[in-house]
Amino acid sequence: MALPNPALSQIPDSYKYGWHDAEQPRTTFEKGISAEVVAEISRIKDEPKWMTDLRLKAYRHFEARPMPKWGADLTGIDFQDIYYYVTGNTDGAAQSWDDVPDYIRRTYDKLGIPEAEKKYLAGVGGQYDSEVIYHNIREDLEKLGVIFMGTDQALKEHPDLFREHFGTVIPANDNKLAALNTAVWSGGSFIYVPKGVHVELPLQAYFRINTQNMGQFERTLIIADEGSSVHYVEGCTAPTYSTASLHSAVVEIIVKKGARVRYTTIQNWSSNVYNLVTKRAVAHEDAVMEWVDGNLGSKVTMKYPSIYLLGERAHGEVLSIAFAGDGQHQDAGGKIIHAAPNTTSLITSKSISRGTGRTSYRGLIKVYPGCERSKSTVRCDALILDDDARSDTYPYMEIDEENVTIGHEATVSKVGSEQLFYLMSRGLSESEASAMIVNGFIEPIVKELPMEYAVEMNRLIQLQMEGAVG
Amino acid sequence: MTLTQTASALDAGAIGRISDLLDEPDWLRTLRSTWWSRAETTPPPTGEEEEWRRTSLDALPRDVELLLDVPQLETEVPPDAVEAGVILTDLRTAVRDHPELVARYLGKADGPASHAHFWALAHAAWTGGLFCYVPRGVTVDGTLVARQMLPRADVAFHPISVVIAEEGSSVTLLEEVVSPDGAAGWYGGIADVQAGQGARVRYANLQQLGDGAWRIGAERVVVGQDAVVTTLNAEVGSRVTKLGLDVLMTGKGGTSKVLGLLAAGDDQQIDINTLQDLAADHTTSDLLYLSALYDRAHASFYGITNVRHGTKQTSSYQECRNLLLSPQAGAEPIPVLEIEANDILRCGHGATAGAIDPTTLFYAQSRGLDADAAQRMIVRGFFEQVVAKIEDETIRERILAALARRIGTTEDLS
Repeated sequence: MALPNPALSQIPDSYKYGWHDAEQPRTTFEKGISAEVVAEISRIKDEPKWMTDLRLKAYRHFEARPMPKWGADLTGIDFQDIYYYVTGNTDGAAQSWDDVPDYIRRTYDKLGIPEAEKKYLAGVGGQYDSEVIYHNIREDLEKLGVIFMGTDQALKEHPDLFREHFGTVIPANDNKLAALNTAVWSGGSFIYVPKGVHVELPLQAYFRINTQNMGQFERTLIIADEGSSVHYVEGCTAPTYSTASLHSAVVEIIVKKGARVRYTTIQNWSSNVYNLVTKRAVAHEDAVMEWVDGNLGSKVTMKYPSIYLLGERAHGEVLSIAFAGDGQHQDAGGKIIHAAPNTTSLITSKSISRGTGRTSYRGLIKVYPGCERSKSTVRCDALILDDDARSDTYPYMEIDEENVTIGHEATVSKVGSEQLFYLMSRGLSESEASAMIVNGFIEPIVKELPMEYAVEMNRLIQLQMEGAVG
Repeated sequence: MTLTQTASALDAGAIGRISDLLDEPDWLRTLRSTWWSRAETTPPPTGEEEEWRRTSLDALPRDVELLLDVPQLETEVPPDAVEAGVILTDLRTAVRDHPELVARYLGKADGPASHAHFWALAHAAWTGGLFCYVPRGVTVDGTLVARQMLPRADVAFHPISVVIAEEGSSVTLLEEVVSPDGAAGWYGGIADVQAGQGARVRYANLQQLGDGAWRIGAERVVVGQDAVVTTLNAEVGSRVTKLGLDVLMTGKGGTSKVLGLLAAGDDQQIDINTLQDLAADHTTSDLLYLSALYDRAHASFYGITNVRHGTKQTSSYQECRNLLLSPQAGAEPIPVLEIEANDILRCGHGATAGAIDPTTLFYAQSRGLDADAAQRMIVRGFFEQVVAKIEDETIRERILAALARRIGTTEDLS
C-alpha cells in the first residue's frame, strides 16, 4: 500500500501499481519445484543444517498433501510453472535508501515508501520478489533492543531467538501452502520487542512482486515479549501480467503475557495473483492480539488470520474487510480458538462484491472444554452491488464448554435505490454516491487504520467503484 | 412373512423379493429397481462431505434385519375430511387403494443432495410409510395425526411419507414415530412434502425413537407459488440423528417457516443440515432451530441459505440457538449464506451458544424457585420462541408432552 503520491495519478491503468520494471540481470531459478530447488535455495542462503532439513521435511509434506478442495477455485495454479526464487544483484538488505539498486528504488519511490518512512513510521522493510532489499529502524528503538530486520538476516544474527520460535505457531505440516512456504521461504520481517518496550509508531513492510510467474513466499515472525506492544503494517502490490503469480506467506506471531500486537495488512495485489496466506498468532495471559486485514486486490485470496487464546483473559480481534470486483474471489475471515478461561474475542467482517466479484466470509470460533466464561461475538455484514456479484458467509462454531457466551450475526444488503437517489439529488454522480455509501459501510474498520492508510483505503474504494454502477 | 434381510446384504434380488412379498404392481417393482440402481451408483457419504464431517456412520447398525411386519399406522382423520376426499393412510394401503395417485407422486424427485444415497435406499427398500393427500381447494379443519410405533429396537426401517396438498388446499399434519429403547436400530424415514399453488400446509414431525436408534432421515419440502408452509421437526429420541432438510422455494411469492426443537441428553448426537433454496422471486423463508443440550449431548447444525442468481426481492433468515445445560454438552451451529443475487429484500442469520444467563437464574431463584425448577422454567421459556409459532393446539400439546421427558414440565410451578 502506498501513501498518497501525486506522481501516481499519471498512471492511467485502473490498477495503479500495475507497471513492471524491465527485469534486470539476477539470480533466477528455473521454473518449478523439487527437493533440489529447495536444497539449493537453502545453500544459496548459506543456512544452518537444521533449516535445510526443515525445508526438505516441509517439502515432503507439501508433496504429500492434497490441494484444499473447499473455498476458492485453485485449479489455475500450476506449481511447476512458478519461479520459486528470484533475486536482484543486491548483497543483503541495505540500511540506507541510497544503497538500494536504482531500478528497485525507482519502484519504491513510485510507491511513496521512503517519504512515508520519514513521516510516520518507526521502521520500514521492503521486499522485492524473493529478497528483502531494504530494512531500517529508528535508532532509539534499536537501542532499546527492538529487532526489526529481514527474516533471513535474523536467522544469521539471532540464531537462538530465531530457532526457539520459528515454526512453533505454524508447524511445517500445518497445511499444504504453509508447508510450501516452509520449504521455499525467502524474506519477510523478523520483529522482536523486548519486555516492557512500547513501539509507539507502526513498523512497516512493503512487498512487491515484479517478475512474471513469480511466487513470493515471505516468512514473518513477530515476538512481543511480556508487557510490550507493537503495530506492524504490511502492504502488497504486483504488476499486472496475463499469467498468474502466487503469494503464499506465513506469518507467526507470539504475544507473550500482557503484551499487545496489532498486525495490519492492506493487500492490493494485481488481479492475477493467487494470495494464499497462513497467518496465526498465539496470545498468552492478558495479551491482546488484533488482526486488521484488508483485501482489495488479487485474483483469489484465501486467508483466515487466526488467534489461539492460550492464557487467561487473553483477547483477540479480527477486523476483516474484503472488496471483490470483476473476476475476483475474496475468501477471507478469521479464526479464534479459546483455549483458556475468561478469554474474549471479536470478529468483525465487512465485505463488498461488485461486478462478477465474489466475497466469502469463512470463520471459526472454537471453545475448548474448561474455557469457562469465554465470550465471543462475530459480526458479518455484506454489501452486494451488482446482479452478478455474490456473497457467502460460512461461520463455523464449535462450542464444547457450557459456561460461555457466543454469538454470531450477519446481514446482507444492497445499496438502496433511495439512498442513491438522495445522494444524487445532492449533486453526486452515481459512482460517487455508491462509493460514499460503501465508504460509510466500511467506516468502522477504516477508522482503525493509521490515518494515511485510511485515506488511501477510501481512495482505493473510490477507484474500484468507478463505473461500478450503471 | 418369512424374508429376513439386512441392509448390508441388500441386493437387486432382495429388493425384488420385497415386491413379491408385498404383492406389488409392476410400476412399483420398476420404481424400486430404478431407485436401487441409484442407491448403488450413489455411494453412502464418506465423512469428507461438508454435511457429514460431524457425524460418522462407522457405527451405523447395517446388520439389523429389515422390518417387514410393520404394525398398523395409527391415524386420526376428522370425518368431514374423509368425505371431502382427503386421504391419510399407510403407504402400502395407498398403493392398493389409490394406485394412480401414488404413482403420480411417489419417487418422482431427488431429495437433499447430502442424503442422496439414503433417499434412494428408502425408495428401493421401503416397507411402510404414509400417504397424505388433500384435493384441490379442500380445507381440512382440525389436525391429521399419523403415529407409527415400531415393535422392536433392533430393526432397519425405511418408511416414506408422501404429503401432497393440492392447489388452494389447507392441511395440518402431525407425524409421530416411536420405538423402544435398547438395541441399536436404523430408522431411515424420509418425507416428501409438496404444497401446490396457494396451499397452506403445517407439517410437524415428532421423533421419539429409542435410545439405540440411528435416525438417518431426509425431508424435501416444495413450496409452490403463493403457498404458505410451516414445518416443524422435534427431535427428542434416538442415539444419533442425522437429518437433511431441503426447503425448495420454487414458486413465486411462496412463504416457509422452518422450525426445529431439539432436546437431547445422555450421549445423544443430533446433526441437522438444511437448505433454504430461494429459487423464485418474492419468496420468504425463515428458519429457527432451538436446542437444549443436557449431559454429554452434542448438537450440530449446518444450514445453507441459497439466494439464486437472478431472483428478486427474496427475504430470508436463519437462526440457530443452543442452550448448553451441562459442562460436557457441545454445539456447532454453522449458518451459511450463499447469495448470488443483488436485489434482495432481506437476508441474514444468527447463531448463539451458551449457558443459562446466571442473572436470569438468580432472578428466578430469588422469586422462590429452587435451581432445578428455575432451570426447567428457563428452558421452557427458551423453547417458547418456537412453541408460540405452533398454531395447532394438538401439535403443541403432543410436542410439549414429548419434550417434557427431557426438559421436565413447569406445571408444578403455576
